[in-house]
Parts: sequence; C-alpha cells; structure tokens
Amino acid sequence: MNEMEQRIHRFSLSEAVETPSRFRHAIGKYIIYRNSKCISCGLCSTLCPYGVHPRYDTFSLPLRPKSHKCIGFTCKKNEFYCIDRCPEKALTLRLNPILDTLGDYRWSPEMLIGHWEMAETGRLPAGDLEYHLGYSRGGFDKIRFKIPHPNSFLDIPDEEVDMGIDLNKRKDSRPRIRISIPCYGGGMSYGSTALSVMVGRARAASRLNTLTCTGEGGYPRELTPYSRHVITQVATGLFGVREETILHAPVVEFKYAQGAKPGLGGHLLGDKVTPEVAAIRETVVGNALFSPFPFHSVYSVEDHKKHVDWIKEINPEALVSVKVSTPTDVDMVAVGSYYAGAHIIHLDGSYGGTGAAPDIAKKNIAMPIEYAVPKVHRFMTDEGVRDDICLIASGGIRNAMDVAKAIALGADGAVIGTAELVALECVRCGNCESGRGCARGIATTDPELGHLITEDWAERRIVNMYTAWRKQWCELLRQFGMRSIRQLRGRSDLLVHLDYLEEEERLKYAPAPNAKMVI
Amino acid sequence: MRSEKTTTAPYPVQTNFIEILSRSRARLNHMDSIGRKGAEEGGCGVTGFISSIPVRGRHIYEPSFQMHNRGNGKGGGIAAVGLSPESLGVDQDVLDTHYLLQIAFLDQGCRSGLEESGIASCMEIHKAERVPTVDDFREIDGLSVKPPDVWRYFVRVKPDVLDRFAVENTIETMNPKKVEDEFIYQNSNRINHQYYASLGEQKAFVLSHGRNMMIFKIVGYAEQVAQYYLLEDFKAHGWIAHQRYPTKGRVWHPGGAHPFIGMHEALVHNGDFANYHAVCEYLKQNNIYPQFLTDTEVSVLLFDLLNRTFGYPMEYIFEAMAPTTEYDFDLLPPDKQRIYRYIQSAHIHSSPDGPWFFIIARNDVDHHAFQLIGITDTSMLRPQVFALQEGEVQIGLVCSEKQAIDATLQSLSQEDKRFGSIADKYWNARGGSATDGGAFIFTVADTDSGGDGKKLTCTNKFGEAVRTNGHQNGFHGSAEAFPVKETKTISTAVAKGVKGKSTGWFKAHILEQLASWDYASLVHACRELENHALENDSAKTNAIDILTHLNDRRYSTGDKKRSSVLQIVRESLSSIFAASPKLTDKAPGAYRYIDWSLRNTLRGPEAGEKVLIVCARQFPPEGEDCDARLICRAYRMGWKRFICYGYRGQRFCGCGLAAGSDGVRIDVYDSSGDYLASGIDGLEIVVHNNAQDQLGQILKRGKLVIYGDVGQTFMYGAKGGEVYVMGNAAGRPLINAVGSPRVVINGTCLDYLAESFMAGDPLSGGGFVVLNGIRFDEDGRVVDLTVPYPGSNLFSLASGGAIYVRDPFRKIVSSQLNGGELVDLSHEDWELILPYLKENERLFGISVEKDLLTVKGIRKECLHVYRKVRAIPLQVLAKASISAEEWGEEWRSEVIEAA
Repeated sequence: MNEMEQRIHRFSLSEAVETPSRFRHAIGKYIIYRNSKCISCGLCSTLCPYGVHPRYDTFSLPLRPKSHKCIGFTCKKNEFYCIDRCPEKALTLRLNPILDTLGDYRWSPEMLIGHWEMAETGRLPAGDLEYHLGYSRGGFDKIRFKIPHPNSFLDIPDEEVDMGIDLNKRKDSRPRIRISIPCYGGGMSYGSTALSVMVGRARAASRLNTLTCTGEGGYPRELTPYSRHVITQVATGLFGVREETILHAPVVEFKYAQGAKPGLGGHLLGDKVTPEVAAIRETVVGNALFSPFPFHSVYSVEDHKKHVDWIKEINPEALVSVKVSTPTDVDMVAVGSYYAGAHIIHLDGSYGGTGAAPDIAKKNIAMPIEYAVPKVHRFMTDEGVRDDICLIASGGIRNAMDVAKAIALGADGAVIGTAELVALECVRCGNCESGRGCARGIATTDPELGHLITEDWAERRIVNMYTAWRKQWCELLRQFGMRSIRQLRGRSDLLVHLDYLEEEERLKYAPAPNAKMVI
Repeated sequence: MRSEKTTTAPYPVQTNFIEILSRSRARLNHMDSIGRKGAEEGGCGVTGFISSIPVRGRHIYEPSFQMHNRGNGKGGGIAAVGLSPESLGVDQDVLDTHYLLQIAFLDQGCRSGLEESGIASCMEIHKAERVPTVDDFREIDGLSVKPPDVWRYFVRVKPDVLDRFAVENTIETMNPKKVEDEFIYQNSNRINHQYYASLGEQKAFVLSHGRNMMIFKIVGYAEQVAQYYLLEDFKAHGWIAHQRYPTKGRVWHPGGAHPFIGMHEALVHNGDFANYHAVCEYLKQNNIYPQFLTDTEVSVLLFDLLNRTFGYPMEYIFEAMAPTTEYDFDLLPPDKQRIYRYIQSAHIHSSPDGPWFFIIARNDVDHHAFQLIGITDTSMLRPQVFALQEGEVQIGLVCSEKQAIDATLQSLSQEDKRFGSIADKYWNARGGSATDGGAFIFTVADTDSGGDGKKLTCTNKFGEAVRTNGHQNGFHGSAEAFPVKETKTISTAVAKGVKGKSTGWFKAHILEQLASWDYASLVHACRELENHALENDSAKTNAIDILTHLNDRRYSTGDKKRSSVLQIVRESLSSIFAASPKLTDKAPGAYRYIDWSLRNTLRGPEAGEKVLIVCARQFPPEGEDCDARLICRAYRMGWKRFICYGYRGQRFCGCGLAAGSDGVRIDVYDSSGDYLASGIDGLEIVVHNNAQDQLGQILKRGKLVIYGDVGQTFMYGAKGGEVYVMGNAAGRPLINAVGSPRVVINGTCLDYLAESFMAGDPLSGGGFVVLNGIRFDEDGRVVDLTVPYPGSNLFSLASGGAIYVRDPFRKIVSSQLNGGELVDLSHEDWELILPYLKENERLFGISVEKDLLTVKGIRKECLHVYRKVRAIPLQVLAKASISAEEWGEEWRSEVIEAA
C-alpha cells in the first residue's frame, strides 16, 4: 500500500466525549457509603482524582458519592485513599453486592461494568476490573495471547497503528471498501431495538468509518443520512426488504442463520409489533412475526448463487455478505458461498444471541466460533482462496480481546452486537423477548421507553467504547511488533489455550475466572 | 452364444430370496462408510429426455450448456439408454443380451490386472475396446482435468461361474437372469472396492454395468462429456445429464459425479437430503454399503434394493421414496391406504427427507422397454418441470428448468422436423400427491402392432396415462408445400385487421377461423402479418398485438397441435422483432432493436423512439453483462417500453429499476428465467409464456401478468402489486407475503399457498389471493379442475389477508387449513375482488359471468361460488385483540396518514 492510501486510511482518533450514564446511580464494582459522621470538610472531594466525591464549590456538603468511578481496594496504597484519610472515618468501601446477580457467565459483572466505563469515558477502566474474561470456563475465556517477547515491542503511537480491514478482496469491479476498525455492527432490526438505538449505532458507525446493519425489519427513513454505513440485511422473512433498500446499501447481508439459534429462524413477539413496526414491515399489528428458517427460494448452493446474483444485479455497487451459522461442515458452506460470489463470509457462532433467542438453542446447536473460524480459515487457505474473501466472525465476541483472538484464529474482523448494547447500558437481564418492557429502553419498541435513549447519547457511548477498544488493540499489536491488525490474521501461533498447557506453563497466565453466580 | 427367453420366466418370487441376497452381499468387502459423507453438494442442474426414436447425443449439449449456472464445472455426467448397436459395433442381439460394462481407468497401470481378475476370470468377453475420445482433452474449451480412459466390455458371466455362484448362495431356483444381474452387481462392487475406495486409493471404477445402457462422467461440465467421448453423433433413445456443484476441496474426482448406477438404471439427483445417515443405516441393515459416499449413490442403491431385491412394482417404489401423507392420504381409496400404510411403516424412515429430485434412465429388461423416470420430493423443494410431445415421434422430458426443455426441443427440431420446438404439455409435480403421485414414467417400448417402431407412453405413479391431444397433427415446417386455398380471403382480412383502428374484431375473427385453417393458411396469415409489420409503425404495433393475442390466448386449434401453432406464431413474432431498425440505424420509427452484439450502442431514446426491443438470446443469464442490467441502463437513459424476446432462461428481468418505475412496461416472450419481476416497484411486466421460479420475490408495487404457469416460490415476501396468472403456480406461492399483494391465480397451486401470509385485512387495504381452480380444455373452453386446491396446506399460520377460492362444490375442507377458517363470502368481499376478476377477464378472456359464475351450465350467485379463507388470530401468536384495545381500531389509517 502506498503512502497516500495509508494517509487516507489513517484513523483520526475521535475525541472521546464524556458520556455519563442516563441513570442517577450508575452501577460500579464498589460502593462507598458516607455516614452521618461526615462534617462536610470536603477533603475527600479534593483528594479523589477519579471524581468519586463530587461537590459544588458553593456548597459544602459533598454529593452522594459516584461509587462507580471508584477503583476500590487497590486504592489503599495511594496517598489519596479517602477511606483512610477521612478525618471522621465517615466513609466505608464495599464490594457492590449487585455483582452476585448482575450479568451471566459469559458477560460477567466486571465485564459489563468495564464496558460501561469505557462507553462513558472512551478510556480503559481505571480500576481492577477484569473486562477481558468472563466466567464461562471455555471459549475465549480460556484462550490467551502468548506472553510476547520484550524485544518484539514496537514503539509507535496509536495513530500509526492501522486497524483497517478490507471488505472486498475479490478482484471484481465492485468498490474496495475499507473500514477503519476491525469490527462492524451486527443486525438488530427495527422492532427488536428502539429507533434511537438504531440511529445512534448508525451515527457511531459513520463516525468510526465502519458499518452497522439494519437487521431484518426494514430500513427506517431516519437511517438514510448514514446510508453509506448501513448494511441492508436480507433475511428469510424478507421483512421490509425492498429494491430501494438494496440500492442504498454499500453491503447487502444475507442472513441464512443465526449462530445462537440455527434452524429456528427469527421471531418477533406480537407485543413488540406496534403500529410503527407493523407499518414498516407491512404486517398485522400485535401478531408475532416469524422469519422462516430457510430461504424458501434457496435450498441448495446453486439456488444460493442465484440469490447472490440477484442482489448483484439490482445493485452493481454492493458487496455481498453471507451470514451463516456454524454447522460441522461450515467450511463447505463457506467455500460454497465464496464460489457463489460472496465478498464476505460471516460466521455466526453459538455464543451470541440476546434474550430473544431461546435458551435451549443458545450455545447448544452451532459449533463454537473459536473452532469454526480456524476450520474455515485453514480450509480456504488450502483452497487457495483465502485472500479473495473477507472472513468475519461473530457470535459471543464480547470485547476487544475477543476480537483480537478471533482475528488471530483466522478471521479478518468481527461483528459486534451485544457489546454495543452493553455500551448503551444493557444489563444482560435477558428479557428482550418479554415484550416492550426493556428496562433500559434498548430492546423496545415502546414509544415511551424509547425516549430513555437519545441518538446523540447512543452515538457517543458506542464511539467511546470502540475508542477504548482501539487502545487495547494498539497495545497488543505493539507488543507483538505489528503495525496493522491485518498482520495478526491467522496468527494462531500467538495463542494458547489454558487446557492444553503444561501445569508450569499455565501458571504464567491469569487463570480463567471461576465464579459461581446467582442467576 | 446363449439364447435367452424373451418373456419373463415363471420363476416364483420367493421372499426368502431377499434374505439370501442380503446374506450373500454381506460377504462382500466393505469399508466402514457409515456416518461418513464425502462431498457436500447442494443442488445441481439435471436434465433428461427419452424419445421414441434414437437421437444423437449432441441434443443433450444445449440443455446442459443452458444449466451451467446450476453447476460449477467440477463434475458432469451423461447416461444413455436404448443405444444404437451400429455405433457400438455389435449387433442388436449382443446389445440386448450382454452386459455393457464400462470401466473408468484413472491409472492405466492397473488395467491388465483388473481385466484379469475382475472380468476375464469370470466372464465371457464378446468385445472389449477403449472408448474413442478426442486426441487431446485440451482441445475442448474449458476442460482442465483429463477425463478418465474408459474401456467398454460386452460380457456375459461364464455359465460354470454362474452355476457355482447360484449354488454357493442357494439361489438355484431363482430366475437365472436375476442371478446373473446379482453376480454382475457384486462383481462391480468388488472391483470398486479393490480399485476405488473413497477413503483410499482411486485407480479405477465401474461407470456402468447394465444392459443396453452406459454412463460417462468427468471433472468438467456435462456437455464436455459428450464432446470428449465423441458422443455427439452417438444415437440413443434416452439421455440424461447432470451438472454438479460440489463444494468440497480443490481436488475433484470423476467418481463423485452423477449419474450413479443401480443395476440397469442410471440416476441423477438434484438436492441434498437431510437424512443421509438414516438411509445409510437402512441400507446397512440390508448389507449394502455405499462406496462413493454421496447421497446420489445412496438414492440409487435404495432404488435398486426396492426394485431388484424386494421386487416392488414402480408405484410402491415411489411410495417408499416419496410417501403420501396428510390430506393426500385421506383422499386415497381405502385399499390403497391399506397398502401404503404398510409401505410407510416399513420404509418411511429410509425415505429421503429434504430437498431432492431424481431423474432415472432405465432399461426395463423384463419388459423390453426403456424408461425415463422423474420423482419429486414431497415438499417440492427442488425445481422440476416435466414435458411431453406426441405425434409421429414422441418425446418425454424432465429438467430442472423449463428453458432446458425448450433448448432440447429446439436443438432436436433443427435436426429433425418431426420434433417441434415447443412441447405439447408442460407440468410441475408434487411428490406424494393423491392425484398423480408426483412421479412420472416415460416408457419407450415396441409398438403393439409389431415391427421395428417404438412408441412412447407416459404414466403417473398410479399407472394412469398422461396424454396430449392425440388426434392433432404436428407441423413439420413444410407449409409451403401445400397450396393455400383461401389466400385472398386471408390476405384481405389480415390487411383489414392490421390497418384498422382497433385490432379487436380481427383478433376475434382469427380465433374463430383458426380451428378450420390448415397449417398453410396459418403460415400464410403470419407471413402476411410479418410483411405488413414492415410497412409502418402502426401496422407493426397491430401485427405484434395480433400475434401476441394468438400466442397468449387459449382457443380451439382444430386438428393442429397447439404447440405447433405457437411455434409458428412465435417465429413470426421473432422475425418481426428482429427486423426492427437497430439503434444505429437512421430509419425513423418508434421501435429500436438491440442485441448482444449491439449492446455497446445503447443510447437514450431520440424523438419518436418509444419501444426498445431487446433480443436476450446471447446475453449471459446473470452477472454484470446480463440483459437485466442492460434494461436498467436503458431505463436510466429514458426508455420506458421494452419488448424482450429470445430468452433462454436469462434471469432477473425487470429487477433493479427501483422505486418510481411507474409507466414502464416490459413484454417478455420466450423462455424467461428465474427471479423475473423480483422487487419491482411500479412497473408492469407481461410474460407471454410460462414463467420460471422465484418470480416476484419482494415485489412491492406494479403489475405482473403471466400468460401461463408460474414456477416455485412465486412472490415470496411480496409486499404488494397486482398480479394475474393464467395457469397454475407451483409450490409455495406467496409465502411470507405482507402488505397488500392482490393476486389472481386462475389454475391452482401444488401446495403451501400463502403460508405465513401477513397482509392485513383485505377489506381495508390488505392483500388477498383469488384462486379460481379452473383450466382450459383443448378447445380453449374454461373447465373446472377436479379440486380447486389439492394440497394439504392452505394459508397455514397466516395472520392477515385472505384467500378467495372458487369452490362451487365445497371441495376445500378445513383439514387443509392450519390456522385459517373457511367462511362464506360477503358482498363487500365480492365488490373487492370483482374489479380484479374483470381485469382477469380482459387479460385472459375468462368471463366472470359465463365462466366463473356459471357452474355446470347454471349461472350461480357469486356468494355460492366463491368462499373465503381468512386468518384467525392464534393465541400463541398474538395477544387477543391487542390491536383493538391498545391501538384503537384505526391504527392502520393513522399510521398511513402519519407516514
């Protein structure tokens, strides 16, 4: 790549804009209590560099502590440790008891809290949060990057590390789209999430120079200003898919299956089908909407080719992405899609899925993504076509390190769904399917609950989160002496799996967190 | 040479032979292939035809080539049955009595060893030869892997070897022909095991071993088989071909290509069944182990087991493979139900499940007949079209796509005028249906009168004959030879028709006259129209209009075959189109012509230019250069009227014009392709022929008229539009349709009509389907179908919209519904659908009063003729009356206003 192009693709780091929680009491790992002994001396407020103790200049009494900013017991060693320094011993610090009930084994409470913090500040969390690893005791939680050799460290600033990936590697006449981070947003339909969430995601995608996806539920007009960054999804129910929406899109995604629920199709509960949702999908208000499992017009690979050809005929500028789940013969599926003319193969593994995917299906049907990605990567490499296709992984890729691990396993990039919602303060309560009542106003079509989120806020939170992620990727790449995320692709030699290490070797790595949760 | 009894010997069918054969096969070596599957492959392109006269292999070339986009050039194969002895250098008797063993050698070194141990030691070889090929495979364009060397042997099993085999297996009392079959079968199995194992080394394998049939397969496209093995001039009664689309691995292997053999049959398959392992397990119970690990091989092994070992008649084989279930089962007579129940309890777990479609070419040795069999799966998940042409010579065809049938017939008719370029009858089928069973057999056998001639008959699963209008004569392209009696009268009438203000009276006139005309008169009238068309634009418009009318409408053709009339009319239309001035011509006029060679001359319309005639023939069926892209570009340049003809399955016509294409009209002639009108938003498309699969997907707005039948998954996910179908829709029309599509289907659908239909309330702007359940008889009269809807799933799980079905005899029963309810028609309903039926009348000549509302000659009240199927809110799907309680009754209008 010449210098010119390099400059164009050089990512200008977004200015992170502090975007606090919408709620009065954000959830943190720790809780600080201030009891009645407080004399309003204001010492704590002057001491704490994290802003845990806000206090108006004109008002002596400190406000209720912003506990979620506290870095906890590790602060004890600091000069400014408020608990010890409080002259009246009016402050106490405790682990937040909510940790026992927050999140789940994959999205551990600390991972959630860490991401909320990233989304708020655009920086990496200051405290002792374990936001890379969950409690699942498998999958990415047991995979680690090897400890890099100190000599390989490459001392370059973040701005010079290239995070761009190419979506069109076929040598055809279609546009060569490069996105500036190795992720783009997953499909969540109008109907499954609030409109402000969709628009916020699209705005974030356009600021980050990446993409987001409509999901299967039509293309709301509000998205059209960002259409260069919005993927149109063509899924099995074909809801809201019109020629126009295909003509808008830089990338058209065929959703054949979801890793969280292969063989089950989509399902939007009747309660979420409000007049607006029904209007955009042109269906009946209050009636549950099913996307059938297969495309009724595609029962084989040559049907699939015809399907791809159709989209290509309608929009000669669009790239075609094929989203499939991960059956045991996923390599065949991938290579078949490649020969059918797809630009992007999107493998959706089994860990993903919001609350709307049935529990019995999640994690129990498709192949885990960390098996599927290298299988496909190797197969396509042997086939000699790996460099002609963009391989994208999704399904339970939660954080920056998961993305990096997926890339090292052989993917070009990842699709992020849940993490973006977590940036919007999703608590993973898993009740998305229960109707319009998302307590956080995210997965809802209720007009009132939808007001809980503004587009601006959503945009900034998501941009902040990716900004923080980018810092982690840069750090990782520097340690391995790489200048570009593309160099990491397929470097599974840089990974270890804790279960396959000698005991002695294993001790060098942080053990997989192993917590029992109250769920 | 041993003589052979010509009649089936009266050997008793002993059931214990089944066990004996099974035990015998258990002694064969086998690899542990259970649970392993070699190549994954989805669908493919399959085509086959069988004719009463032997025809050259070159005629399989065109349909194979047409279906390139159903394969990827990594596996192609051809089989032929009913071969011509001259081409093989043997006499008829040898051909009939000897096994024709064809072995593909990938490694020449093993030939002598194989011949010694596998052939010479146990067989008398009448003739052995290397199958001639072109000198260098690279001479064939696009062929990149050298096809295997094939050796052909005419053999019989040595009598002493056969006797020993019979004694060893205690089958001395079995029909010696069957014993010999079994020996050959087991011998091939041994050869394959030794020289070819999918999991081990691959040196040689048996291509085919039946009598009077042969198979070739290569890594490449099917038509390259014909080229490489010099089959283009080789004559045979039946041919089948297969384009494969394997997706596994860089190394492909001819052994995995179709067709696969049973005994005297070759099977090609399009699809991929879900229960491969279950079927394998079943075969294992009968000591049959696959060697090539594809589901196609398994299918033919299953067929052979049912046929040769169990001795089932063909009907029961079909039932075992594609069982009759649901409502269809209820419709069967009790004695059939009893037998079918036994068959199903024994075989349903081994019947292929999922998308599949088999074509079998077979030598029915016992009955001295050759057969072409097409079997469709019970869910119609694979596209398939059957066709039949009768007359002096007869031909039956089965293909994945209709355009492949037309390509075959065009190829044949160019060589031999006894074949017409259009079949007399085309139809789709549904596996396990109670009416025809969804499986058809074309049988070529000696004529009853004796002599050398052969005759083709077509029967369905139940043995009922499928016929065309037998008394009519075909047109053999020599009309000029006959004097035209009424030249003057015809010329005058044509001139008057073309020059008049309206063509109406002449269209009526010619439809009346046509039955009494001979071919010469018709050809004369068409020539006159062609000549007038050259005079000026208005004459041309009228001539096109008149000929199109003759092409579209159903009317009595007298003693002429309808297919021949259509052939003449379409040739005239094509010649008028082709004679139009090119875009580069200076001539004035509203019509402009463009084709593949002129594609770079495309420009916007100049003053007075209105209609762009696109000859689609040479365009690729898809991709950046396809004709559908040309139409998009032309539209953006300002063209609004299109006439497209010369189609050979080119896809996506009308797609990509985007919203606001109102006022655009595309007239489509000839064999148009899949996905036509998918996504259109405003424009009008008129298809002057049968249409193919996946039409009108996500159709948003606009008008679509089809003068014929339409294929699978019609209007999937459609949002709106006004659509008229003159004939039938195949499987799964209007699945997941929403919004307000309004559709009139005059025939019926195979099954799954409007599943998950979600199109609101038809009485307040939602969508509906009118199903008329009628057909045209040979004289163009409207007659009722036996049942308006034969399938077991009508309007399943629908939450909105309605089906208005013409059902004067109340034949639709509620067990055909799943979630819907049958109610009487209201006056509002009738007022809603009447304008659409009027338009239907205008388009197709199906009179509301005289045809639709007249039942058995009596004019009935509309409310007694039509019934309505509407959705009932299912508790599991919807909160009861949520829309009324929470959003008010007027939610839709509010939302529409707000938008």
